[in-house]
Amino acid sequence: MSFFDQSLQTAFSLIFSADQDVYAAVWTSVSIAIWSIGFASLFGIPAGIGIGVGQFRLKRSLMVILNSLMAMPTVVVGLLVYGLLSRQGPMGKWGLLFTTKAIVIGQTILAIPIVANYTLSAIRAADFRIVPTTLTLGASTMQSLTQLTREVRFGILAAIIAGFGRVISEVGVAMMLGGNIRGYTRTMTTAIALETSKGEFAFGLALGIILMSVSLLINIVLTFMQESSRA
Amino acid sequence: MNGFDYHLTDIQLRYGNILALDVDELLISGGRLHVLAGPNGAGKSSLLHVMAFLEKPSQGQVVFRRTPIVWEKRELRELRKRVTLLHQRSYLFGGNVSSNVAFGPRVRGMSKEQVCCSVQDSLAMVGLGGFESKNVKHLSGGEARRVELARALACKPEVLLLDEPLAYVDRESRVIIEELIVSLVLKGMTVVMASHDECIGERMDGDTIHLQYGKIERITNRPVAPGSAGHR
Repeated sequence: MSFFDQSLQTAFSLIFSADQDVYAAVWTSVSIAIWSIGFASLFGIPAGIGIGVGQFRLKRSLMVILNSLMAMPTVVVGLLVYGLLSRQGPMGKWGLLFTTKAIVIGQTILAIPIVANYTLSAIRAADFRIVPTTLTLGASTMQSLTQLTREVRFGILAAIIAGFGRVISEVGVAMMLGGNIRGYTRTMTTAIALETSKGEFAFGLALGIILMSVSLLINIVLTFMQESSRA
Repeated sequence: MNGFDYHLTDIQLRYGNILALDVDELLISGGRLHVLAGPNGAGKSSLLHVMAFLEKPSQGQVVFRRTPIVWEKRELRELRKRVTLLHQRSYLFGGNVSSNVAFGPRVRGMSKEQVCCSVQDSLAMVGLGGFESKNVKHLSGGEARRVELARALACKPEVLLLDEPLAYVDRESRVIIEELIVSLVLKGMTVVMASHDECIGERMDGDTIHLQYGKIERITNRPVAPGSAGHR
């Protein structure tokens, strides 16, 4: 049996034997990703809508910046937030560094440009008649924007899916801000990096398979939601 | 000035360097049908947009029911609740017919029962009773136009502005829409309708405002029958 086959066999036995370390890392990853994408949506969706419908001088510049931020390296975000949360930093007194909250902060910052940019694209691609139609039917600006958001909800869901994909698969922020503490801040990606570097390829592979499966499952659920509401 | 819904003076609407509308004076009397006739680019849609308070003219004054418009946000929202425009290429929101027609009553804060009644009444007026749960994707062109009209009527506007309501519809829908417009005017509603058809004003017993290159060329007034809603 080859090295890869052996590792694969060990990986599946780890998955099906409900290994505590494996499932702790899975739960940490998924819960952090859900919180992060929740907060990122809270900021990113209104930002995308605001930039999309607003007419202001720096709109084009803001769009360029937003595009650039989408490619922001995770370690750079990790580094910046590390600076803020470390003892000497402005938020050091809160003792957030090397906690799951710190990872949530970092991953939220990472996901906001993605959610905002995808939302902005959805708004720009929306039918230009939506807003005048709502206004002439007596809607307020807020009611008009709510209806516009409703009309582009599939695009916004795509924004959330893309942001979720980014945060659940990233390693830089989780490693730098979480510290990869076993059973506490260890996520699937940081565990893969650690175990592989230790030579525990099977453990890394098991987590890799789970990571892919979790991402696939969540994307299936979100896509199903998207399709069922489109029908 | 009594009896006039709109009084437009020195109105100009520009898009960049293009002068889309140049109206010296226009009086729109209440409770009548007014047809804006003219070829493409004559300024019909632009004039309707100004009258619907969706576009502020580059210059000039609009007086609506003796109140000069100052184009302030809160005022505009209140005015748009009284005046509804059916766009030339209107947009139906995703979902079913009912949710579309219910939009106007909902944003006015009506109760669920009132919204439901309003939807049913408006759909019945356009001959689409029983279409409530039908998805808008499955409507024909004529049916879609009638749903758009029902959605505008559900707002119970004092003034109804229609931009080419008879374009791209089949004969059946055309007859229903024409009869409905005439009945609305007879009930006292002011209807301003844009059309390519120069004879439609005469056929539907309305005044015709002939537009060309953004200017009013001439106005053909129909005599007002004594005792009719438009007779003041």
